[in-house]
Amino acid sequence: MMLLNMSLQVDQIGTGYVILLSGLLIVFSALLILSLFFKFGLPVMLYVYRIITKGRDKKIKDIPIAADENFTGEVAAVISTAIHMYLNEQHDDENAILTIKQARKLYSPWSSKIYGTHQKLR
Amino acid sequence: MKKILLIFGVLSLLIFLRPVLGFSGDVTPKDEIATVDEQQPTTDQGEGVFENATHGMQQFYNYTGFANATWGHIIMILIGIIFIYLGIKFDYEPLLLIPIGIGVIIGNIPFVAGNQTGIYETGSVLNYLYFGVVKGVYPPLIFLGIGAMTDFSSLIANPKLMLLGAAAQIGVFGTFLGALYLGFNLPEAGAIGIIGGADGPTAIFLSSKLANGVNILPDGTTVKNLIGPIAIAAYSYMALVPVIQPPIMRLLVSKEDRKIRMKPPRAVTQKEKMIFPVVALLLTTFISPSALPLLGMLFFGNLLKESGRTERLADTARTKLIDIVTILLGVTVGASTQADIFITKDSMMIFALGAISFVIATMGGLLFAKFMNLFLKGDNKINPLIGASGVSAVPDSARVVHAEALKSDPNNYLLMHAMAPNVSGVIGSAIAAGILLSFLA
Repeated sequence: MMLLNMSLQVDQIGTGYVILLSGLLIVFSALLILSLFFKFGLPVMLYVYRIITKGRDKKIKDIPIAADENFTGEVAAVISTAIHMYLNEQHDDENAILTIKQARKLYSPWSSKIYGTHQKLR
Repeated sequence: MKKILLIFGVLSLLIFLRPVLGFSGDVTPKDEIATVDEQQPTTDQGEGVFENATHGMQQFYNYTGFANATWGHIIMILIGIIFIYLGIKFDYEPLLLIPIGIGVIIGNIPFVAGNQTGIYETGSVLNYLYFGVVKGVYPPLIFLGIGAMTDFSSLIANPKLMLLGAAAQIGVFGTFLGALYLGFNLPEAGAIGIIGGADGPTAIFLSSKLANGVNILPDGTTVKNLIGPIAIAAYSYMALVPVIQPPIMRLLVSKEDRKIRMKPPRAVTQKEKMIFPVVALLLTTFISPSALPLLGMLFFGNLLKESGRTERLADTARTKLIDIVTILLGVTVGASTQADIFITKDSMMIFALGAISFVIATMGGLLFAKFMNLFLKGDNKINPLIGASGVSAVPDSARVVHAEALKSDPNNYLLMHAMAPNVSGVIGSAIAAGILLSFLA
């Protein structure tokens, strides 16, 4: 039993190594194929697409990949940040309803009508 | 008002006096005895009421948490509180740690089994919610939201960075091997290994398929249910990425290399962004069909975002839907850590392996980035730090890389570059999960 267990364990680890190597290989190859496609395949596809559509519709002017070297992601980020900030800094919404609030004043002899200096003495 | 008070007063008096006056229904036989003897029954009945009351109290006490609490429960509740504390105080992935933390507390309130209360009792409400975890329903929905959030443009602009996402998957397979050496059987080891993918939904998905406590192994034994420990380990280490990764980065990448500036990525056209999800879906799932639920939903969500026509659907997927699923997933995963099932030697080993897997994955990414630099020249060179974000943990590890690069050069902004291996890490770990699933299920 012990021996069987041992052999099972060893067998398991052997399988483990097989899975380790093949798994890593597959993951790498999958992502490698994906990256190769986007490096080489996609530009060709887009180029072909442009040629095909050009005959039919002259108006389409695609932005060719890597044509405008100066327009980088950073420029786009700066522009979009500026727009975002501008839109956020517009006049803030204020409450449009105006009401007149009645203020209760405490009685004070200083402003009293009874003690006014303009009272006529009879 | 007075009348109501009066009625309530009379009613409550009646209710309280009922047993004292001997009106209760279950003591009718005693009443007959009472006709024989005048004095005896009143004291008897008084004692009976008292006894009943104490008995009731006793029974009530036996049902309370105080009577059923074990050290395991208390430890787990403390862990839950620590999770909540970490989430609130240090802002470590609060959207995950707070639901999980409260879930840990909910799952470890001691109760008497058999009343359909606990998460592992069939028919309880928590059990129904847990169904989405056990059957792997929630992870693809989360992936849908992630897809609708993720901008793959940095990856499209610089496709070679995809390889970094693949390199970090060595953490998955390395941990898998480590778990085998520690004596776990193949499916369990596969589920534990995926912690190295640093991706919570993927980890839950794979463990619900491989280590769910239902599958039967070739030698006749059932696999253990490791969903709880694996999910908790994956999520807690993901939250600890800002702690785990920086020392390894400093260890493996020299000061000069950390200062490497990468040239800004080119602008990517909308057409490319739309083609990406379709092509990537086809390529990756043809290679690893078992990852279909995850990758299918990921790229579906991304197409919703990039197509420009389905903004409403994309908006729902990345806000409301993912929020709902995160809430359910967090609480139920937390609650699945019921002490009597969770505190085992296996869980401790899984936690140790999880930490090692994150270290291996980070090292794999960093070293592969250095290796790639051997072949790259001039301003095409990559900053090796971004290799560390090849472990998924979106977007935390990219942020860690960014912060680490800023420490050695305050003007070196790596965030966008680091996002590329970061998102390809998500794809990579989903593919790795698919591979493990097809080998081991």
